[in-house]
Amino acid sequence: MKSEFFEKGWIVLSESQNININGVNVIAKPNQTVLELLSDSSIEIPQVCYHPSLGAIETCDTCIVSVNGELVRSCSTRVKEGDVIDTATSDVKEAQTIAMDKILYNHELYCTVCDYNNGGCEVHNTVKAMKINHQRIPFDQKPYEVDDSNPFYRYDPDQCILCGRCVEACQDVQVTETLTIDWERQEPRVIWDKDVPINESSCVSCGHCSTVCPCNAMMEKGMEGEAGFLTGIAKNTLRPMIEMTKNVETGYGSILAISDMEAAMRDEKIEKTKTVCTYCGVGCSFDVWTKDREILKIEPHAEAPANGISTCVKGKFGWDFVNSEERLTKPLIREGDSFREAEWEEALSLIAQKFTEIKKDHGADALSFISSSKTTNEESYLMQKLARSVIGTNNIDNCSRYCQTPATVGLFRTVGYGGDAGSIEDIQKAELVLIIGSNTSESHPVLSTRVKRSQKLNGQKVIVADLREHEMAERSDLFVRPRAGTDMVWLSAVTKYIIDQGWADEQFLKENVNGLEDFIKNLEKFTIEYAVKTTGISRENLIQIAEMIHESKTVSALWAMGVTQHLGGSDTSTAISNLLLVTGNYTKPGAGAYPLRGHNNVQGAGDFGSSPDNLPGYQTVTDPESRKKFENAWGVTLPEVPGLNNHEMVEGIHEGKLKAMYLKGEDMGLVDSNINYVQAAFEKLDFFVVQDIFLSRTAQFANVVLPASPSLEKDGTFTNTERRIQRLYKALEPLGESKPDWQIIIDIANRLGAGWNYTHPSEVMEEAAKLMPLYSGVTYERLEGYKSLQWPVAADGTDSPLLYTDGFPFPDGKARLYPVDWTPPLEFPVEYDIHVNNGRLLEHFHEGNMTYKSAGISEKTPEVFLEVSPDLAAERGLNDGTLVRLSSPYGNVKVKCHITDRVKGKEVYLPMNDTGEAAINLLTSSYADKDTDTPAYKETRAKLEILKEEGTNPLPKINHRYGNPQPQIGIQVEKKWARKDYIFPGDIVKKERNQHG
Amino acid sequence: MAKAINKIQRFELSPEDKRKKDLEEVETALIENKESILELITVVNHMHDRGILSLLNGLFGQGDKVLNVLVKAADKPETTNTLKNLLLMVGTLGTINVKQLEPMLLKINSGIARVAESNETEEKTGYFDLVKSLKDPEINSAITLLMTFLKGMGEDTSGMERNTQLPEDQDLHKRESNTVNGSPSNDK
Repeated sequence: MKSEFFEKGWIVLSESQNININGVNVIAKPNQTVLELLSDSSIEIPQVCYHPSLGAIETCDTCIVSVNGELVRSCSTRVKEGDVIDTATSDVKEAQTIAMDKILYNHELYCTVCDYNNGGCEVHNTVKAMKINHQRIPFDQKPYEVDDSNPFYRYDPDQCILCGRCVEACQDVQVTETLTIDWERQEPRVIWDKDVPINESSCVSCGHCSTVCPCNAMMEKGMEGEAGFLTGIAKNTLRPMIEMTKNVETGYGSILAISDMEAAMRDEKIEKTKTVCTYCGVGCSFDVWTKDREILKIEPHAEAPANGISTCVKGKFGWDFVNSEERLTKPLIREGDSFREAEWEEALSLIAQKFTEIKKDHGADALSFISSSKTTNEESYLMQKLARSVIGTNNIDNCSRYCQTPATVGLFRTVGYGGDAGSIEDIQKAELVLIIGSNTSESHPVLSTRVKRSQKLNGQKVIVADLREHEMAERSDLFVRPRAGTDMVWLSAVTKYIIDQGWADEQFLKENVNGLEDFIKNLEKFTIEYAVKTTGISRENLIQIAEMIHESKTVSALWAMGVTQHLGGSDTSTAISNLLLVTGNYTKPGAGAYPLRGHNNVQGAGDFGSSPDNLPGYQTVTDPESRKKFENAWGVTLPEVPGLNNHEMVEGIHEGKLKAMYLKGEDMGLVDSNINYVQAAFEKLDFFVVQDIFLSRTAQFANVVLPASPSLEKDGTFTNTERRIQRLYKALEPLGESKPDWQIIIDIANRLGAGWNYTHPSEVMEEAAKLMPLYSGVTYERLEGYKSLQWPVAADGTDSPLLYTDGFPFPDGKARLYPVDWTPPLEFPVEYDIHVNNGRLLEHFHEGNMTYKSAGISEKTPEVFLEVSPDLAAERGLNDGTLVRLSSPYGNVKVKCHITDRVKGKEVYLPMNDTGEAAINLLTSSYADKDTDTPAYKETRAKLEILKEEGTNPLPKINHRYGNPQPQIGIQVEKKWARKDYIFPGDIVKKERNQHG
Repeated sequence: MAKAINKIQRFELSPEDKRKKDLEEVETALIENKESILELITVVNHMHDRGILSLLNGLFGQGDKVLNVLVKAADKPETTNTLKNLLLMVGTLGTINVKQLEPMLLKINSGIARVAESNETEEKTGYFDLVKSLKDPEINSAITLLMTFLKGMGEDTSGMERNTQLPEDQDLHKRESNTVNGSPSNDK
């Protein structure tokens, strides 16, 4: 006790640092920098290179202040007890002015005709704040051309002030490590890889550099010639105009006043709307800048809770689909061998008539509903409400069945909540990150950057278990390649080894966990020897994994489709959670289970009851109490028997039980497994309604196709992988006669006599929150702007970033160790000798309906390709571009090869981004996880034959995968300081004073 | 059996229907904005009368070309100087205290009126006349005024010049940097 008191006392002492600023005494927080301390006050210090999300970069020198009589950079100087800080002396001002002068030497001020003149330009604002009117060293053009090669952004060396923010972001936030500044050359500049054009480098076009650039040097191409009133002027007129602007200058003051006016005028035509990305489960939020229907740029904000300033190429630049000419703008009705554009009135009447007929003739369970993990929570809620309360069936599901339901089951079995245990922040903090069956940097790009950064800068350890040597594997501290479908075995063996060594967290188990005895008994068979034999991982590696887990105070386990899409997907997920329980890796920051949700609203679609056995909030349909609650609220009697999941629906159609289907926002005909079988089922439906933004492959089988609106055209909420609920706001009006899904569902329900009168999604949330304890305190007001909540949310609005801190949601508050056994993967006849791994690519979303509409993405990644190992290529005589046929017992694909050592031996990788002859699910089977019916996509084998030996490489040389990253930590400002022409402005001032004084 | 199809018969309006629909849209817009449109027509008429419309027509019709010529013409020393002077003058005008200037200006006016009234004469003013005229109260007050003015003119105003001075030497800057704008927060 005594020592604790002493310690506390010591902390208090260290906290109270007495500082004197310009003669005023203040108290500083521990470990604060001078700049942070000053930013808390009303004193404004110039800071051009400093960015709160990047920290001190120390290149601009404009933040110089005097600390104890010495001129120092305030961004990198930590305050100490008794410091005397002066920000107002003429020495300070002189030094800051010298620094700013050097910046202006690198940057031409033509603000009024600059696309970046939108109020946020740091150079402009600093010149204004410092009241600089002239520069002593005139601007000089650099001997470099503008690099326009990348389709998404361009670099203008003449405008670049060499602050290094872009490099810092690329090296240490995004950690793609493409950008550096070459400080050695006469005129330094930003370079890509070893000085190649942007488009030929390892740049993944994530957009970090253009987001953090303080001026117009690194700029999104969508902005070019669009943002300003005068910026669209032809180049040959613009140049004299810039010259004139400069000649007219009576000092920057008046010029800046005019450009400020112009910037204010831009607000009239440019709308900035907060939205949430729909490309994966990370839940990046940002502002979208629009001018009429044109999307100028995506502008991330530091306060975005999941991503901060981060984006990936899809979120930053992949929005062309919204204005695609292929968008559906009117309802379509099948007529003979074509669709006919029709009015809403006709389409809705037809749907109501058919639904009513089928229900009358075959019963409510002859109809089925498929909600979407891409649409909003409110829309999922309405879809299941339509199925249950208007039609009267529990035949409702969504595509998380294809990916993450096994993970949810694994968590329900062990810890009680079907969601990530903590936040992305916890993953960032973890001492050890265990990544199993997840291609994180391509499937959850922004989340992966947090791991990459922590590993690079903060000593985080990373273990990757995967078949493929993807980026995370390449970067990991330990990479193991278990045989496909054997993860459950090595996880259990490691767990057993940890228990046998006495490394289990006994106290945690005693206080928080039930079922240890049975669990240990069931583990007996999972010896290290057995695991070595089954998984192919060496004994040393297995023990090393166990040791690394044991030595880490906090372990976060990340997993995805490599775990779940197997016959035993739920069991492997359970084994992961068991391992975390045994090692006490729950309830503390930096630890826990993180199944990475694949789509923006996989979590929300499940939360809001788009599932055959759960009402909203995971309240089961078989529980009379839960049903009663909803029956009272909705004023109807609800069906008590669980409905069909989407796997069973396909069966149901083939069996003739299921006659009609209403599906929204889901290309089930391509993304379900064994699509030949699924499409054959669609052909058998009596009536099929598909709601989408495009005429997807699935929609081609429909009787009625309804034109929906994408996220940018609607209001609502999404729930991301961290259980984080975020609002999206309508940025554009729905295109043509398309409508947001929620409006369409209401229209259909009301045609069927529901009498719903919601006028805005907020009213839907209000109703749902009353019925869902997990969402009790969720209101649109509490989610305004960038505010968010992580469920469970108590009625008073208190949310839960970290789960289980008050016990586990079981009757006695304790978690459960849940014994599971291994289910060996599917066996195929010997002639199917190639294992076909499959999954995502960074730059395409799923089958590519949306991302192929982006000219830039399609230029760099025009088509799908088959990754083939050098060994297999040598054995079969395959080259880059060889066209092959893969045949499984269920179908075949034709695809061109790309030889790479990311894959080994007879394992090939076929990304899922094709809608034609190379669609992966022509090969996959209907076998599924035994507990959830999630298709075993990853248990696919095929035989390979060559169709055409020579062909063009499907992966063009301008793809980032050919690049040569140049890893380094940060900007390496020491190299700048070492230049002969660099003198610290503080030293210049001191020298001048000495000479004069 | 519903086979996959991807042909779409677009809902094409007949040219007449399209025209009718467009007309309806325009009509609605006209009615909804009746007041402003009628006023706009009046304005347009005036512009037409004064030939402004045809001028603008030429300007917009040849947008980039005209702008190019304009900018090139404008980017000549004399033009840029004019603009520069204009900007400087505008800046200086802002610093003039019109309240103080008004009586001065009235006096100058009245002086000018006097000069205008008196015909050019052969009459010459000698040194003695000059001293004698100091006794004239009107002349005396004018001379006193002028001397005060000259005194003011001799004062050092270089610190106020924004055109030639470094920021750290400008009064404006000095004044602000000598005061701490509030004290930093005291939170621990």
